[in-house]
Amino acid sequence: MKKLLLPIFIFFLTIPASLYAEDFLGAPLIPGGKTVERTKSRLEMKSPLSHDEIVAFYRQALKKYEDIKFRDWKDATYIEDDGRLSWHSITISKQYRDGTNLVIVKDNWTWIIGTLVLRFIGVFVVLLFLMLGMYISGTIISRSVKKLEAKKS
Amino acid sequence: MTLNEIMDMLYGIFHTTGVFNFQWKLIIMWGIGSLFIYLAIAKKYEPLLLLPIGFGIFIVNFPLVPLMGYSHGHAQLLQIFYHYGLEWEVIPCIIFLGLGAMTDFGPLIANPRTLLIGAGAQLGVFITFTGTVLAGFTLKEAASVGIIGGADGPTTVYLTQHLAPQLLGPNALAAYSYMAMVPLIQPPIMRLMTSVEERKIRMRQLRPVSKQEKILFPLVTAGIIALLVPSVIPLMGMFMLGNLMKESGVVERLTETSQGALMNIVTIFLGISVGATMHADKFLSWKPLFIFGLGLVDFAVCTIGGILTVKVMNLLLKEKINPLIGSAGVSAVPMAARVSQVQGLKYDKTNHLLMHAMGPNLAGVIGSAAAAGMFIAMFD
Repeated sequence: MKKLLLPIFIFFLTIPASLYAEDFLGAPLIPGGKTVERTKSRLEMKSPLSHDEIVAFYRQALKKYEDIKFRDWKDATYIEDDGRLSWHSITISKQYRDGTNLVIVKDNWTWIIGTLVLRFIGVFVVLLFLMLGMYISGTIISRSVKKLEAKKS
Repeated sequence: MTLNEIMDMLYGIFHTTGVFNFQWKLIIMWGIGSLFIYLAIAKKYEPLLLLPIGFGIFIVNFPLVPLMGYSHGHAQLLQIFYHYGLEWEVIPCIIFLGLGAMTDFGPLIANPRTLLIGAGAQLGVFITFTGTVLAGFTLKEAASVGIIGGADGPTTVYLTQHLAPQLLGPNALAAYSYMAMVPLIQPPIMRLMTSVEERKIRMRQLRPVSKQEKILFPLVTAGIIALLVPSVIPLMGMFMLGNLMKESGVVERLTETSQGALMNIVTIFLGISVGATMHADKFLSWKPLFIFGLGLVDFAVCTIGGILTVKVMNLLLKEKINPLIGSAGVSAVPMAARVSQVQGLKYDKTNHLLMHAMGPNLAGVIGSAAAAGMFIAMFD
């Protein structure tokens, strides 16, 4: 009986662990990956799979979600959720150093507020450039008009 | 033929009528449609848009009407207008072409500093975004609701169709309704945000703008917007094309068509298509009510943003700007500029602010388009 209890005990002990390992805040985790650092809002993992294999895994795993974007950056693939999921992004490094680095970040207000502030400033920048363009073109034109008038007179 | 057979036949005919398929919630939608028709006819609130929108709401909310669906695989009438006009994002761009052909950018070219007021007046767009997310909307929905405060109908329609087409009806309705209500919404905020001395500030008369400058303006603007916010160039490109046609003076027929017949045609299609998206099944929820509530806050914060921008600029400028023109930084051309003029005249009967306010007013159109471009870039 004792011989039987031990495997049962280990089995039930490992169930929560295996469930825990399957996702982070609802984001599916790559099988065989090792946790490098884990907090409540961020998980960093290293996977023996290549960057392309991991991207393919997530394309398959997340295909049912409408608001997921795959952005191909220079050093990484950035998967972003604009919907209502608990996680915000998954960054998959393109460099392979003893494995591929993968970071999952929780959906957070810092990102939302940060991007809004930057974009609001962005509107100012766009109109500031336009203002400069208008000043420059206005100066050039008024000078040329003055020259033409001087020639005529 | 037996009596039973006759009864069955009558029953069959009765089944094909709207009466048999009637739902009580449709009456609410008739009321909403009628309200907007009333506002358009009796109160003259944006009648060009609110009248067809109201009728669109009214007519699609009858049972079995073949307007917004598919019959035997073929799209029905309003579905066709909606598909080609709005889903393809054609109508807002054509309206911008017409607006460009109508607009004189002289006041903005004469005083380019007012562009910054148009940027500041987008404050509400970004603040409302946050509030909408807090209320449980998705980020894309929040962006489409936020842009209402920009007070630019075509931009609101364009962005909403792009990011959250399910909110097209309520967003467009809120945008056009509040645009019509600018003379009611803005004055109390303007009085609250400014002192009597500030309201009396006189501004130097604007310099005359040469034809060459007016021709160059659409090219410079289109170029800069295309470089910095390419995602919004379908709107701004058409806007600037319309203006180039107008200012060049060599294509009068095209200019006339753009600002007249073409604009009127697409306005009919826009109104009826937007109204037709508001079927009781989709519309009757807490979301449209919330959008209407938040839209008002959005407008108010945008007005505050414009006025605050002028106040900050005045700290740095030798020649002060009358903060009453800050409120015109929301688009709503030329209504918001007229509100500035009326408010200014109340405190100094010889202080005419209309032309000064046209600068930020036009800047607001560009600013709200830029904000829309920022949101599109965020999600695309």
